[in-house]
This record gives sequence, C-alpha cells and structure tokens, in this order.
Amino acid sequence: MLKDITLGQYYQADSVLHRLDPRVKLVGTLIYMVSLFIFNNIICYLAAGIFLVIVIAISKVPVKFMLRGMKSIFFLMLFTVLYNMFLGKGTVIAEFGIFALTFEGIYNAICMFFRLLFLIIGSSILTLTTTPSQLTDGLESLFKPLSLFRVPVHEMAMMMSIALRFIPILMEETDKIMKAQLARGADFENKNPFKRLGCLIPLLVPLFVSAFRRAGDLALAMEARCYHGGNGRTRMKVMRLSARDFVAMGILLAYLGGIIFLGITLKELLPALLGYFVNGFTLVPLGSESI
Amino acid sequence: MNSSIVSMKKISYEYRRVDDDGHELEAIHALDQVDLDVKTGDFITILGHNGSGKSTLAKHINALLFPTEGTVLVDGYDTAEEKNLLTIRQCAGMIFQNPDNQIIGTVVEEDVGFGPENMGVPTEEIWERVDESLKTVEMNEYRKASPQKLSGGQKQRVSIAGVLAMHPKCIIMDEPTAMLDPQGRREVIRAARALNSVEKITIILITHYMEEAIYSDRIFVMDRGKIVMQGTPKEIFSAPDELNNYHMTLPMATELSYRLKEKGMNLSEGILSRKELVKELTAKIKDAGTVQELVAKADYPSDDRRKEETEVILEAKNLTFEYEAKTAMCVKAIDDLSVAIRAGEFLGIVGHTGSGKTTLIQLLDALIKPSSGTVLLNGEDVFNKKYDRKKLRRSVGIVFQYPEYQLFETTVLKDVCFGPKNLGLSEKEAEEAAKEALKEVGISEEYYEVSPFEISGGQKRRVAIAGVLAMNPSVLILDEPTAGLDPKGREEILGLLKKLNHSGMTVLLVSHSMDDVARYAKRILVLDKGNIKYDGNVREVFTHADELEQIGLAVPEVTYIMRDLKKSGMNVSTDILNLDEAVNEIGRVLC
Repeated sequence: MLKDITLGQYYQADSVLHRLDPRVKLVGTLIYMVSLFIFNNIICYLAAGIFLVIVIAISKVPVKFMLRGMKSIFFLMLFTVLYNMFLGKGTVIAEFGIFALTFEGIYNAICMFFRLLFLIIGSSILTLTTTPSQLTDGLESLFKPLSLFRVPVHEMAMMMSIALRFIPILMEETDKIMKAQLARGADFENKNPFKRLGCLIPLLVPLFVSAFRRAGDLALAMEARCYHGGNGRTRMKVMRLSARDFVAMGILLAYLGGIIFLGITLKELLPALLGYFVNGFTLVPLGSESI
Repeated sequence: MNSSIVSMKKISYEYRRVDDDGHELEAIHALDQVDLDVKTGDFITILGHNGSGKSTLAKHINALLFPTEGTVLVDGYDTAEEKNLLTIRQCAGMIFQNPDNQIIGTVVEEDVGFGPENMGVPTEEIWERVDESLKTVEMNEYRKASPQKLSGGQKQRVSIAGVLAMHPKCIIMDEPTAMLDPQGRREVIRAARALNSVEKITIILITHYMEEAIYSDRIFVMDRGKIVMQGTPKEIFSAPDELNNYHMTLPMATELSYRLKEKGMNLSEGILSRKELVKELTAKIKDAGTVQELVAKADYPSDDRRKEETEVILEAKNLTFEYEAKTAMCVKAIDDLSVAIRAGEFLGIVGHTGSGKTTLIQLLDALIKPSSGTVLLNGEDVFNKKYDRKKLRRSVGIVFQYPEYQLFETTVLKDVCFGPKNLGLSEKEAEEAAKEALKEVGISEEYYEVSPFEISGGQKRRVAIAGVLAMNPSVLILDEPTAGLDPKGREEILGLLKKLNHSGMTVLLVSHSMDDVARYAKRILVLDKGNIKYDGNVREVFTHADELEQIGLAVPEVTYIMRDLKKSGMNVSTDILNLDEAVNEIGRVLC
C-alpha cells in the first residue's frame, strides 16, 4: 500500500530537467507556485498549464506515472471543487436547500481545480527529476545563509538524508517483526480498535529498540569515518551552475514576467468580458465584487 | 618496517551499570590490563567468545572508546589527546558487523566519498580516491547503485572501500562476516587478504570463524577482557585444550589431524588448512609405497535407521509465490514447489541467498499468501477461508533470523508468555508453559524477572526461541538460528534442536552451514531459484558436490578434504559427512 505513493518519488531518466542544478529546480518550483497564486484568472492558468505541459514533455517522465500519485489526493480536490461550486456567493443558477450553484462558484471551482492540480504536478516534477540526495544538497546550499543566524543547516540536511536512507530499511524491519509476532499468534487484524492498539506494542517496542540500535551503530560508524559536523568538510559533488542553469533561470523569470503581464492586463478586461457573457451579452461590468 | 602501528600498554576499560535511581549495580571490566602490540603490515586476528571484550578492544584502536587506565598509541599518536582524534581515525579505519548500519550514502559512490569529505580532501581528489577504492574492492560497476540493492558481502566491500578512501594504514574489522552467507564471507576475507598483501595495509580481524584466522600472521585470543593466548596460527591451534577453555574450536582440518593422531598416525603439528592436511596424508601413501587394496567398503552407521515412514504432518502443494505480481518486475520467489514433511523428521533446508528459503518458511506458516498452490497441515488446507489460523500457529512455530530483535516485554517470563497467551491459555497455564520452555533452552530462574534487553546476546537468542517453544509446536522451523553466535553458542543451539527432535518434534533447519546440516539433519532440501533442486538423504545429496557449487552452495568441509584426498590419488570414499567417519575412512586406507 505504501508502495503506491509516487508523490515524492524519483524517476530515473536522462533529461535536461534531470541534469539541472537542484537549486534552480527548487527556486523554479517556488516561482511556479508563486505564479499560480498571484492572479486568479483563467487565462493565467491556461498559460501556466501550457508551461507545465512543456516542462512535463521535457522531463521524460511518463504522464501515467505522474498521475498514479494523484489518486491519493483525488478526494481533496473533489471536495475543494464542490465546496467552491456550491458555497460561493454570486449569481445563482440553481438552488438545492442551503447549497446554491452560482456562476462565480463554477468559475472559482475551475480556477481552484487547476491551481491545485498544477501545484501538485509542479512540485512532483521537482521530486521526480531530482534524487533525494541532490534535493538535500540543494536545500542545504539554499538555506546556507541561515547558518549565520545559528540555524544548524548542515545538521538538518544530514538528518534528512539519513532519514531517507533508513526509511526503506525500517519498513522492511517492520514487516519482519510483524511476521515474527504473527507467527507467535499475535492478531493484527482484530476488529476491536482498542485491542488493535494493544497489538501495536509487540510491533512498536522492537521497532523502536531496533531504530535506536541502528542509530547508535550509525553514529559510531560516522565517527569512525572522521565525521565531526559540517566544519572543514569538503564536498564530493559540488554544485556548479552551468550555462543550462542560467538559461533555465532566464526562462523561469520570463515566464513569471509573462504571467504578471497577463494578470495585470486581464485584471480589468476579464471581468468586463465575463460580465458581457453573463448579463446577456451586454457590456456591463459585474460590479465591485471582483472575482 | 617492523615498527608498531598499534601499541597498547596495560589498558583497562570499565563501565558501571546503574539502576534507575542511579545506584551503582556493578562495575564491569570490559578490558583488564591488556597489552597489545601490532606490527606495521601484519594481518592479525582476534578470537574470543561473545562478550570477551574483542569489540571494546577494537573501539579503542579507533579512538571511539578511551581507556580508563593505560595508554593506546596508534601510529605513535596517543588516543587520549583530543587533537589526535581525527588523525587516528583516519589512520585506523573500522568496519563494523552490520552491513546496513554503517552505510551513510544513498548511492554507493557517495558513501565511499563520505570519509574523505569529512577529512576536507579537495573535490578532485575525492573522486580519484573513490574510483581507486571501488576498483580495489571490485565494486566499481555498482558505483551508482543504491546500497539497498546489494548483497551483504557487497555492502561490506562498499564499507571497506569507504575506509580505503581515507587512505588508512590499518583497518580494524569487527566481525565483518558474522551476518553474511558463505559466499559473502569469502568475498570479504579475500578483500581483506588482498589489502594486506597488495596494499600493505595492517589488518586487525575480529572473528568467530576459525577458518578465517589461519592465514593471519598472529592470533590473539581474548577471554573476560584479557588477552589469554597469543602466537602464530600454528602455535595457537596446537593447543586445542586451552582453546577449548575459552570456548573456541579448531579449524576443521586441524581437528581432523588431531583425531588422526589420536589414532596413532604420525602427522606433523599445527596443520591448518585443507591443503596442508591433504599434502601430509598423500605423502604418507607414497612413503608406504603402495596403495592398499580396498577392503570391503566400511560400514557407516546407517542414516535410515528410522526407515519406518511416519505420517505426513506438513505439506506444500504446487506452491507459487510472486513478488510484484502482475507487473513487469514480477519475480517468482517460489515456483511450483511441492514437498511433504513427515512427523519427527529433522529436515535441513539449504540454498543460496535469494533461492526462496525464507519465502518458503513464511508460506508454511501462512504468514504470506501464495499466488497459487496451498499448504496442508495434517491434511487440512490452511489457506481455506474457514480454516482457523490459530490452529496452524499452535502447531507450526517459526524462529526467524535474529529472533532476539522481536523481544518486547518488560520481563523475560512475560515475553515468553506472549505466544501461549495469544493462543488463549490462561495466565497461569501460559506461565507454566513459559517456564518449561525456558528450562528447555537453559535459562535459569534468576533471569525470569529480568528485562530481556539486559541479558547477553546468546541468552536473548535462547529466550526468543523459548518464546516459540512455549507454544508447544509440533513443527519447529528455524531460520539461521546460529547466525552471529560464537562456537559454543552455536553448539548449544544445535544441541537443543537435536534434543527437541529426539523428543519427537519435527525440526526444519534453514542454514548456510553445510557442516551443521550434515551433522544434524537426516534429510535435506536444496532450493534453487524457488524450486527444489535436490530432496533426499543427506549423504546422497552431498555427493552432488559440483552441482551444489554451481548454485552457490558447498558441501561440508570434511567432504571437501576427502574429495581432495581422492583427487591426489588416495583411494577413499567421498561420501563422508563428519569427523568420525573421516577418521575411520582415512584410518582404513592408511593403517
């Protein structure tokens, strides 16, 4: 069941996107997110959507693989869409008790749907094309300035990468302990939730003991290999920005500029157009409550 | 050349155990006035039973622990001085027992680069060092792999590369082979020997396997925090009685040579390897001039004494188990396997890592569901929806690998009670069953109320086995029950299994050790690629030595000795399984 989650997984492929500096990708993802939030009009989303499709095509990650991870958040999206559709204020189209389907509601729901969809796909492209260790390296490098304020940036990055390394090991361990206790007659499938909670003790105690033992072993092994924190440490994989990274950064900034331009010019125009559409094709602005 | 790389002068290390209120319970002398001197370029081995202080000693060389008394000099640097710390750790690298817990990187090459990164080596040079070290341990082709995907032996070689990249003068290996299968063990020992002979790196190897010690320049034997014996392998293994006092055994070839000497044969002292023994024995034949005519083939005690067939208790029928079923990555761990196990049998299950042994035993206890086929217990289908699994769990007990990792209760007694209670026994009944099981495995009453996390490793293992025995199963399945134990611990567990089998319990022993299987099992099941390669009488199966080797297995060490003798012209029978038989057979030909 845990295997089905592709969200946050890495997909091995050889694309320009895979080769980009993780920092550029991190900043790029941030820029993309910002671009989704500054304006709330459908033309901007269209532009963002086109941009995303191009990026997906470049990434060489199969769309199917990407969408498989979306299943888990399907309900969240459905809920958001319904909420916006029926609980918005504006021109009522149909009424069902306290629920009113409004024109603005539909418009908002569509916007919200695409905002969420692009947000999730956009950030999953980051993790799909970047290995966890690159990601931690990128984060460490981006947050480096914070270490001036005594934020333990290196230590946090190290913890993150160790966690990433040990998650599969501990999952395997959980499976082993579970089977061992099952063989001793433990009942993990009891219907009574309280009893089921009790069943977790034979699973969790050995798991924690094992996690601590591993942590102790690992600390010793790290010390034995001269680990003494981030001071005086060199890096095997140094991140260097190449021409490709600058080009990517340029494209991202151009994209952001484009969205801002679209947003500003459409801010006045769009309500007018919509009003025209709603009020029987006469050019009357929708009033002060903008969308 | 002959300077000392490690020199310890009268070092002691003690720690205090305190109870919850901070009162001192006892002071434990893990090391007691140890003197140790290791010459640069030597290969030395430290032997000793579990808890004799070997690991504590090793950690002193790497400045992970500091002596409470005495001084430790590594390459002339005193470990007690803080400023020397990194120099010492760079100079004396360390490999630990558990292959999973010492790999830090998520990619092989990143892990190898970890040490040099910490030392502040310039980036360019780190890459050179990583390349060079991975090539030395022959792991270059796996450099982009995730450590997850490697075998135990490969993981240990990555760890060795990680230490090599720091350009150490000395490598300490703390039971690097204890958690590996025979093939992984060979890989690691071969790598260690190559480092010593080619790269001239001093190796300090800590091990429980006598066979790994025979190539070293010097051996140190530890007991209760002291070094009790030291010398060359020849000297050490020429004192079998003294070794036995410290719970150590002899290499198989040495043991056989002693047994032959007892029979009045004139062999030289300190035979260590198979090669030496075979050379000596064949020389004997040549001295005698002619090879004696074969008398009638010697009679071995028949293995089939209990020929009368008992009824089938547990049966697998056309079992198939697929991982990642219905995907492109579908792997058949078990492929249409059928086997019938009879009541009272002692069945050995052997197979290369990944041959499906563990999957098979999990299927036999219905811990996983087969893709097709089924398991019958006393003729009843255990995968039938109406079948009560408790009945199966009561009858078939499984002791998994490293069972001590499943202990969880506050006291030993409570932990052992867990199984019986799950089966619906009352508190009192469960306790009785638990006490009986604990007695069986040799855990005395004083430990009943002790936390299972505070007893020694060997005791934990036995408590965990008691936890399964307390359920009073009629079939007991054990997956590598002796892994990581010292020779004495191994004997104890195997002796226990023999006793249980004699009292009528059906025992299934999954093991990497062909010697153990040959000594205890009557019937043997050889798995390869999820199916049965051989199923039969132990003696018969081990005649297929070449075929077994092809699937990554071996035959017992004695059998190898007999085969080598035969190859060098001695007319001995090769279907020999244990020392007694070997002594008789060689005696028959030579006397």
